[in-house]
Amino acid sequence: MALLEVENIHTYYGSIHALKGISITVDKGEIVTLVGANGAGKSTTLNTICGVLKPRHGEIRLNGELLNALKPHEIVAKGISQAPEGRRIFSRLTVMENLEMGAYARSDRREIAKDLERVFAIFPRLKERARQVGGTLSGGEQQMLAIARALMARPRVLLLDEPSMGLAPILVQEIFSVIREINQQGTTILLVEQNVNMALQIAQRGYVLETGRVALQGSAKELRENPRVRAVYLGETLHA
Amino acid sequence: MAVVSREAQVSRAPIVRVSVNRILLWVVGLGVAALVVWRIAGTAARGLYGPDIWIMQTLNGLVQGSMYALVALGYTMVYGILLMINFAHGEIFMIGAMAGYFVLNGFHQSGLLASDPVLALLLTFVVGMGVPPIVGVLLERIAYRPLRRAPRLVPLICAIGASFFLQQAVRLLFGIRTKVYPTVAVLSGSWTVNVGGRDLRIQHMSALIIVITIILMVALYLLVRKTKIGKAMRAVAEDKEAAALMGIDVDWVIMITFAIGSALAGAAGVMWGLWYKQVIHTVGFIPGIKAFTSAVLGGIGNIPGAMMGGLFLGFVEAIAPTALDISTQLKDVISFGLLVIVLIFRPSGILGEVLSGKKA
Amino acid sequence: MKKWFVVVLIVTLALMLLPWGVLAAPPGQEGKIYTLGPRETLSLIAAREYGNVLAYPAIVYYNNLAAQTNPQLTKITDPNAVKPGDVILLPTADQVKAYLAGERVGPAKGDAPPDDLWGVVTIGPGEPVRIGFAAALSGAGVDVLGLDEKRGAELAVADRPTLAGHPVELVVEDDLCSGEGGTAVANKFVADPTIVAVVGNMCSSSSIPASDIYEKAGYTMVSPSSTAVAFTARGLRSANRVCWSDAIQGPAAAKFVYEKLGIRKVATIHDGSPYGEGLVNAFAEGFKALGGEVVAQEAVSVGDTDMRPVLTKISVTGPELIYFGGFVAEGAFLASQRVDVGIEKVIFMGADGIKADDFIKAAGAAAEGAYASAADLATAGPGVNAFLAKYEATYGEKPPAPFHLHAYDAVNVIMDAIYASAVQGPDGTLWIGREALNRAIRATSGYQGLSGVITCQPNGDCGTGTVAMSKVVNGQWVPAE
Repeated sequence: MALLEVENIHTYYGSIHALKGISITVDKGEIVTLVGANGAGKSTTLNTICGVLKPRHGEIRLNGELLNALKPHEIVAKGISQAPEGRRIFSRLTVMENLEMGAYARSDRREIAKDLERVFAIFPRLKERARQVGGTLSGGEQQMLAIARALMARPRVLLLDEPSMGLAPILVQEIFSVIREINQQGTTILLVEQNVNMALQIAQRGYVLETGRVALQGSAKELRENPRVRAVYLGETLHA
Repeated sequence: MAVVSREAQVSRAPIVRVSVNRILLWVVGLGVAALVVWRIAGTAARGLYGPDIWIMQTLNGLVQGSMYALVALGYTMVYGILLMINFAHGEIFMIGAMAGYFVLNGFHQSGLLASDPVLALLLTFVVGMGVPPIVGVLLERIAYRPLRRAPRLVPLICAIGASFFLQQAVRLLFGIRTKVYPTVAVLSGSWTVNVGGRDLRIQHMSALIIVITIILMVALYLLVRKTKIGKAMRAVAEDKEAAALMGIDVDWVIMITFAIGSALAGAAGVMWGLWYKQVIHTVGFIPGIKAFTSAVLGGIGNIPGAMMGGLFLGFVEAIAPTALDISTQLKDVISFGLLVIVLIFRPSGILGEVLSGKKA
Repeated sequence: MKKWFVVVLIVTLALMLLPWGVLAAPPGQEGKIYTLGPRETLSLIAAREYGNVLAYPAIVYYNNLAAQTNPQLTKITDPNAVKPGDVILLPTADQVKAYLAGERVGPAKGDAPPDDLWGVVTIGPGEPVRIGFAAALSGAGVDVLGLDEKRGAELAVADRPTLAGHPVELVVEDDLCSGEGGTAVANKFVADPTIVAVVGNMCSSSSIPASDIYEKAGYTMVSPSSTAVAFTARGLRSANRVCWSDAIQGPAAAKFVYEKLGIRKVATIHDGSPYGEGLVNAFAEGFKALGGEVVAQEAVSVGDTDMRPVLTKISVTGPELIYFGGFVAEGAFLASQRVDVGIEKVIFMGADGIKADDFIKAAGAAAEGAYASAADLATAGPGVNAFLAKYEATYGEKPPAPFHLHAYDAVNVIMDAIYASAVQGPDGTLWIGREALNRAIRATSGYQGLSGVITCQPNGDCGTGTVAMSKVVNGQWVPAE
């Protein structure tokens, strides 16, 4: 049984049919990536998993447990946290407070402290800036904070939505190496990326979404070699 | 809301127009400021009022301002989180004043107020701060939560309706007669201080009100700054969806916000009853408006701003008619005039930060 | 057996449908002409002729009615001021009995509604005569005045529950003592063609704008307590009152302060209402005319609670007395906060707007020694004691405010005027011409009400204008002289 199973979900924005039957699975320890053009439904899929959007049909299971009816904060408590698109850190809270908010659903103080150590080990820059308010951080630091904050929930599955967006190429490299590091420490990751090239390099498997449907799926290697992916995503998006 | 209109202005009118408007506003504002300075100088020159009068008026203002500030906190906290003006907040204040009356009057009749006034007062504050949160939370649950995704004017209208509902409900339940707080003997005395050859009387009650206000403000500050729920409140105020994604139960946090704001308003209500003695179902209207003004003056959504705005408004109301040597009847004109002037120079209030367009 | 029951029922119903007003014997112009001797008063005559001192208002009533057609008779404008040689009509014992039971002569019989410039109210058989009542029934410090007036009016209806075979109904509205409230109630009443006339409004702030609306619609209002000078000073036929005008109350209070209290320096505060402002101006003018000094003239707003700033400001001018024009709430705030700014030795004085028990309750110990002017019960009419007993029995407390008697009288003046002006059809239908009713009200003369003698001046001022001073002693309002 996969850790996270998304089965045939249909999600609507009002009357717009955004997800038209998406099914994906994420196994324990994997990095799985969702790639696709703008509006293909990648972020919508993540938001549906997190409970911000409710699917009209379909099922979402974590370890076999149905999540559909739960509210976002309850889903976090079950073990899914997200570093959302655009980072959305709390700019008026300090870095430390942001991280505390990440661990909001937990009450095991000693373990939280341990995770804080771990996060600071991964992102030493955040430790230096722990007392600064979030709004004063640079874009790269904010992205790190967003990921660190999501990690503080000690998720079983970490959802990352466009972690490289708006970052300088050198920072993109850094972020991706951090993602790999987090994964190697044992966190399962579902990654949404427009930078398909990078995403397929660190992921084990991938799904290509097109207009709310899964167009292609397979191992990262298969997708990298797929001519269509090469033409549409690896060829053009690199320059975009 | 202010942000929206300014943006609308910018998009419709050419940049030059806007700056001409601004210059005009500044000229008007500076003119009024000059007028005020001239009047104050005139009053000072005539030497009609000694230092005792000024200290007295300042003290009057601080007491009045304390109550405004406590009520203003509720407005500003709810606005900060929901971007909505809870116009029924004045009624929450009234319910605190009423609850306090029934408890204190009960103690007065049972004799506890005479035998153990400290305990009686303490219990009065406990009930006066305990009942309003129940009403506030119910109000949020029944009247506002279902409208959270509605256009912003809808919950506003609903709040005005809720305000009438609460007022009339109290009127029907407890009658139209004015309720008079019993006199608390231990607090009805005063200290006499000699200032410039004249006796200045400082009421024990005024000291109590100021002290309790300071305690509550410090407590609120610590709560918001240091506790988990306080941090969650700030997080929710900034970004509800991101907060939910962090595992924060947004509905719960909003409920707690209403509860805290209501408790503060309840405390102000009890103080109001102790200080002014008379309470009635309409008692919340004017303090509600004034507290809302204070919140805007200080920068709505900003907690220290509401505290400052309230104290400032109370102070100006008390001292301006004397300082400007005009009729006391005009104090409301002065306070709202002040609001206009402050908003000309600082559109987001004294301590308000410039709101990002996203939120407005 | 069952059949029998049905027959009885039908007969009973049929009897109920009969126009009883027609069957009742019409009260004619009987009685005897009498010339008053030396030292004779109407009460003496009433006691001698009818065995009841309290019957003298009936003499006034029948005499004045007859005097309209009989030039030989002397019209009585004040029952307490009849002279020897006055020729009056003494009604029959039956007439007196009917009068005391609330019956009046009239309405005139007729087959068709009368012509009336302002329109006619038609009240079908069995339908009620609806009289509007508007006062502040909510609002800090004014509610108690309104409640008291409402009770006075209710007791008037309870005493005279029917009018020419029609039940009398009081339609009560809350005008909040504000201009908007008065206007809203007035618009509601003029939109309801069954409202015959209006008892109200209580506050001058409501009465003045309301009177403009009533004037246009041809309604007549009789206010129990709108004492502002402006109310009747605008030549409106709609505006009438059974209380005094502040043009009387203000100078009377000034005279009392200057002569009886021996005070020379006063400060005045009003609450911004037409009543408060008018009263304070009348007081200040009167006081200055007497040679006194007004050291400060201040104003607050209705709804203000923090009076310390204004009192602090006044304190430096060194007044011996603060004269306040306004109502209970603001008055009590002023009186009690006087202590806080250290001027509790400065006497506090108000008027009928604060002369309520709630003022004492709200101001607490600070109320002690405060003065207020209000209706002089010493000149009040007979039956006041019986009224007060009934009031207490009905509402479980003594009247908490000063205008219950005036409200009682206002209802009675309207009802008497309806008798005098209405036309009743053979089936009992009552037609009330609005203009005729207005004339009848304005024609009220020598009516002995509970609050005093009511005689309408051409401007609509009908009250007696006797003002008495009261003082708070041991937590009670007592006469000051």
